[in-house]
Amino acid sequence: MQNNRNYILLLCLVLLFGSCVSRKVFSTNYYHENEKTLTGIEQSFKTLYAQKPFSLGFSDLSFNYISIEIITDSIKYIYEFQINEPRFQDTLHKYNLPADGITNLVNQMRSIHCLWINNLDFYTNNQKRSLVFMSIHPLAIHIPFAPEKYYILTFYSQPQYFDSEGRLLERRRLKKLRKINDEVFRRINDKVCYTISERFR
Amino acid sequence: MRTGKKNIIRLLYTLLSCCIYLGCLKASATGKPISDTTPLSTKEQALAFLDKQTDLTASNFWPNVHPVFFLQNLRKNIENPLSIYEGRSTNFCGYAALSYLPLHDDPLGYLRFMLEIYKNGKAVYGKEYFEPSREIKLAAGTLSFKGELDIRPADQLWFMLLADHFKGYLNFFDKQYNPGDENKTWAAVNFAKFNRMVRNLFNYRIESIGSDLVRPGLRDPVEYLSERLQTGNIALFVNNLDLYKKNHTQLKFAVPTHFVILLNITEIDDDTVAITYWDYGGKTLQRVSVSFLKKIIFGISHITQKTVHAK
Repeated sequence: MQNNRNYILLLCLVLLFGSCVSRKVFSTNYYHENEKTLTGIEQSFKTLYAQKPFSLGFSDLSFNYISIEIITDSIKYIYEFQINEPRFQDTLHKYNLPADGITNLVNQMRSIHCLWINNLDFYTNNQKRSLVFMSIHPLAIHIPFAPEKYYILTFYSQPQYFDSEGRLLERRRLKKLRKINDEVFRRINDKVCYTISERFR
Repeated sequence: MRTGKKNIIRLLYTLLSCCIYLGCLKASATGKPISDTTPLSTKEQALAFLDKQTDLTASNFWPNVHPVFFLQNLRKNIENPLSIYEGRSTNFCGYAALSYLPLHDDPLGYLRFMLEIYKNGKAVYGKEYFEPSREIKLAAGTLSFKGELDIRPADQLWFMLLADHFKGYLNFFDKQYNPGDENKTWAAVNFAKFNRMVRNLFNYRIESIGSDLVRPGLRDPVEYLSERLQTGNIALFVNNLDLYKKNHTQLKFAVPTHFVILLNITEIDDDTVAITYWDYGGKTLQRVSVSFLKKIIFGISHITQKTVHAK
């Protein structure tokens, strides 16, 4: 009986300790360590997106299932495939998507645990602009029952404005934070920002 | 004892007669019979009405909604009703989904209301009288980082107006608007609130099954949905985390958070269907398994037009 109590107490302490452990801090180091791969993915996506708009991601954490959204003027198609399923290639051909380029992109994303990539529109002075949104699954230890955290990177075409704490601003003069999906983003360099979020898209 | 019962029966007859008499009196006083019809109009009527709005000036009630952008937004909604967009990461999906109905069936009614509320700061839509709070009037037109909603001030006004006016139990702890509340429970819509808004604003007949927590438990959802699509519109209350796979957490609360308008459902094989639905400013076609469909749907509202004198 006493042993059982000790086990329960130990389990509670382990859970308490686990909940207090901070996750591996995502910093500018991560970006700089993987800069070549990350910018390679961004550039590939931009080139492929210009040919035909789409979003791409993995719907499982073992990176075996691909989720693709094919965007046309009138409708958006959402498909899910197993990574080596022939239907994936057939679908890419059916919608005239650059199959080889997308397959390479899938492999690049898988190599760096990139879960999702898409193009997001935003507006500055009523002018439409876009950014590349990328989310990465952290390799840190998973804490049971705790919500997943994702490292989000945003790539802009133009240099952005930041406050003294490195937080992304809407405009230089207006000291209003620019939030994407309700998250505050921080500076990595003039055109790249990051945040940590519970939502990967 | 018998006399007492007779008296009660006489009293009930008298009350019933009075009700019928007063009903007839009200109908004759207005000069027309009481009708219970869903108001309808066409896109052409709405555009002709919009073309006449050449002298719209800036509203004192909505200081951040520019009249030119306001009219441009209304025109976009009438010309392309599917383009109305709830914005990224907001809780406006319920309001956007119900907007599908007037934009398709009664665009003129929608336009008249929008122009009335813009000019006078108060207006009546269906059974509802709107006099929005000061916070809403100041905030409409200022929402940003929401994608295309940033440049759609009329949609901002419309969504915020509805969120400000209609309250359900989800809004109990957050009834007053503060900046950023468009992403929070202030704007949340539960299933009963959605149905109430559709009934009261547009006078449709609604048959709904399901709830905020318990799924409808249909044996054959494909047959059920296909049949009802023949006779009206269908709004689905779905679990968005599953529909869009927004996280990978194993332990998930299965609750619905998103409204979509179902446009079509087609059987691909025994276990797979293709669903076409409207949300986020456009149509989406997605192939899903029947078991997945059962898993994500929590509420189904079958929305049909009322014809004259229909009950």
